[in-house]
Amino acid sequence: MAARDDSARGPAVGYADPLGEPFLRTRFAVPARPATFVRRPRLTAHLDQALDTPLTMVNGAAGAGKTLLVADWAARLGQPVAWLTNEAGDQDPGKFWAYALHALHTAGTPLSAGVGGSPGDLRMVDHRLLARLADELNGRDRPAILVLDEFDRLAAPETAEQLEFVLHHAGQGLRLVLVTRTEPLLPLHRYRAAAAMTEIRNHELAFTPEEAADLLARHGLRLPAEAARALVERTGGWAAGLRLSALAAQQSTDPETYLKEFEAGHSTIADFLLAEVVGRQPPETQDLLLRVSVLDRFGPELAEALTGRPDAGPLLAGLCRQNAFVEDLGHSWYRLRPLFGEILRVHLRARDPGLEPELHRRAAWWLRAHGAVPEALAHGAAAADWECTAGALVDDLAIGRLLTGLRADDLTELFSGMGPEAGGPAVDLVRAARELSEHDLDHGLAHLGRAEQSLATGAAAAAGRLSCVLLESLAARLTGCPDRAERAMADAAPLRREVPAHLLAKHPELTALLLSHLGSARVWAGHFDAARAALTEVADLPGGALTELPREDCLGHLALIDYFDGWLDLAERRALAATDATRHCGGRPFPGAGLGQLVLAAVAVDRDELCRARSLLDEAAESGPGPGVPDPVTEACRALVTGRLHRALGDARTAANAADPAVRAEVTSPWARADAALAVAAVLLADGRPGPAAEVLAGIGRPGGPVCAADVAWAQLAAGRREEAVGAADRLCTETEGRTGPGVTVRATLVRARAAAEAGDTDTARKLLARALLEARRDRLRRPFLDAGPGIRRLLDTPPLHGLAAGWLHGDGPGADAPPLLVEELSGREREVLARLAQMMSTQEIAADLYVSVNTVKTHLKSVYRKLGVGRRGDAVRRARERGLL
Amino acid sequence: MRYEIRVEGTMSETLTRAFPEMEHVTMSGQTVLFGPVVDEAHLYGLLNRCLSLGLRVVEMRRLPE
Repeated sequence: MAARDDSARGPAVGYADPLGEPFLRTRFAVPARPATFVRRPRLTAHLDQALDTPLTMVNGAAGAGKTLLVADWAARLGQPVAWLTNEAGDQDPGKFWAYALHALHTAGTPLSAGVGGSPGDLRMVDHRLLARLADELNGRDRPAILVLDEFDRLAAPETAEQLEFVLHHAGQGLRLVLVTRTEPLLPLHRYRAAAAMTEIRNHELAFTPEEAADLLARHGLRLPAEAARALVERTGGWAAGLRLSALAAQQSTDPETYLKEFEAGHSTIADFLLAEVVGRQPPETQDLLLRVSVLDRFGPELAEALTGRPDAGPLLAGLCRQNAFVEDLGHSWYRLRPLFGEILRVHLRARDPGLEPELHRRAAWWLRAHGAVPEALAHGAAAADWECTAGALVDDLAIGRLLTGLRADDLTELFSGMGPEAGGPAVDLVRAARELSEHDLDHGLAHLGRAEQSLATGAAAAAGRLSCVLLESLAARLTGCPDRAERAMADAAPLRREVPAHLLAKHPELTALLLSHLGSARVWAGHFDAARAALTEVADLPGGALTELPREDCLGHLALIDYFDGWLDLAERRALAATDATRHCGGRPFPGAGLGQLVLAAVAVDRDELCRARSLLDEAAESGPGPGVPDPVTEACRALVTGRLHRALGDARTAANAADPAVRAEVTSPWARADAALAVAAVLLADGRPGPAAEVLAGIGRPGGPVCAADVAWAQLAAGRREEAVGAADRLCTETEGRTGPGVTVRATLVRARAAAEAGDTDTARKLLARALLEARRDRLRRPFLDAGPGIRRLLDTPPLHGLAAGWLHGDGPGADAPPLLVEELSGREREVLARLAQMMSTQEIAADLYVSVNTVKTHLKSVYRKLGVGRRGDAVRRARERGLL
Repeated sequence: MRYEIRVEGTMSETLTRAFPEMEHVTMSGQTVLFGPVVDEAHLYGLLNRCLSLGLRVVEMRRLPE
């Protein structure tokens, strides 16, 4: 990774979180204690018990002194402590775990490579990773101590669940210390009951009069015991209140009288005291404090960008020495103490209502110029400065993040406030990316065109033009235009050399997306070899959160190519890998989502597992990208499978209707067209009109894929064009020898067998059939034999062939293994749903038929599955038949 | 629905601006914030705002319609 400018986001560590951003070192630092810090032995002694209990919770109001207490304890413990300060942006469990693992790593906890890496995904954390982590911690001699400060900022409930899981399974290997304002979502009662928890709460954190006197003494104030007690009473022993009253008193002419007379009861302490303390600072300090309140952390340079004055350095150092509001994070980075930051922000809004957006704007431009992209995006959006926000995204080459589905939702949310008045090429690119990812082709293409036009003139940055190219490839895929995709790929090559290498390394999703869209366009055009080259490149990329969706997309396409080549087994394995990835990822639907299930459905039709095919089609519809302009390859594949399923069910007419994909494409796809023609020919043949059928078949031209070619040959034979059919079948068997699988060779061999049988050469027909059966057996390729017509079926029933077909071609037969007893009876409604399931109705159709909602049907299905002990609808129907429930 | 949130101490005019959607009144050393609350999320948001500003919530109740 290239060296980065440390001054922009605070010091960063060379490792990268799952989004490719470097870790912020300040978040792993144990906060420094100010000179006026009062060590309170009763609390540190209590905290020492944390070494003996798995869970420790320090729970108190803002400004109660929690963080400093734990920080002081940790610093003096004499053994490494992993510290993590949580931020509001850590909503994704994946990001939290990446930081938590890095905190452990930083503290010298040895973790093996399998655990030490980042979790792959942001939203879903691989359970295996957590199990491995817990296991490794469990094996340690000395427990690792992990402090999570500001734990209340982690809102995701699953993070608490996952922490609980790790804590539970790490046994004595982990001591977890939570510092929080609110009660965390962990089963605390269990830990309390088992005496496995150390708990320090608000009332214990409150200062005693003696401690308060000590604190005041450190501010140079002496107070009689009686007055100290009164002060503690008035402030409730609240650390922030005491600290502020000490500061306010220091600044007054008669501190003791001030402290005696200061009446907290009449006002909320922090507000009153802060106004008092800030009000006595010099105007430039007041201004600085108010302005930096919009920032999470800042260095002198960034502060100066906000104040427009060159004196932030000494002012900040001075404030830090006074220990008023500013905390030193090390390396010249600071932050406001959270409570004071909040109150100062309220004051800022009150004093100068228009200033806040302007401050965000300045922060955004400064952060963008210094390469701190995530922060620049947040501040840019807060300022509604879309030119800056979109520019930061495009300059960082992060446009693909709007498409890959991992942070796409967050980014979409970020840009949701962007109105039509915003302008500029970067803004148009962001608009185009959002629209294309939502499959709004018309607007997306218009905005993309506008961005390209404005980038074409002048020496636009390579990052902007490369972003255009990426969106071009997506547009090409969605419009079914392979030439456009090839042009985009050709344009990408020189641009990739122009953009900084570290940006390309940071954004592997850019390359993955480009290649997967190119591959998809090539599949559409029937250029399978070229497509395979592009797709394999992506599939071979190392896994990772950023490339997961494009990889899955490519696996789906590769599975489809395998299917077209007749390799059922391979197609099934690849498609399963693709759908596995889908389940793993979740998130925003990708254009090719559902393709894996569709290929599985196609394989299931070939194997005559029609129920399974139907349920896979349903699954594919559910995981698809939803409304909008469809993805051509996925839609054509859906049409192909649906058509084949209906033909297998003997309904040629419905098949012909289903086989026409509703896709708006620039170029027709040879395989989609061939399949549609096959469906039409099947109807004509069923109507006994072989002549017109043959004409339709003759019009196909290049059939697009060996399996389609074999199907065309079969249809030609049925239409009475024996010579053409046998010629094509011979070619398929010889020319593509070794490159095509059983799906092709079995079909072609069947064509030849039937031709031989029709010519009266039964011996040859038998020989060919035997070969076909042997080849089909391993892949359980049943469909072509079932469609082969009465002549072939008679031959198959004769002795030597009958043996070859036994056991797999005609199903397993009932009673193969005795079904277990049904534990729970099905309800009446569940039986109704099951009966409709057996009729191959989809979930939607069942819902409509029973006048209930889709969700109700799903609920019934779930309990049917549970009662039958199955996981799929095909299995449910089979098991129900075995038990005579249908 | 309408809620009132009772906070210890007198909030300054500035601090009450952190709750622009609520009205406020000071009585016997406490500040009462009251007004319409859209839903539970809003309610928790209000409590969180109190928490982050270091306000001590003494009482919170739903007002009769």
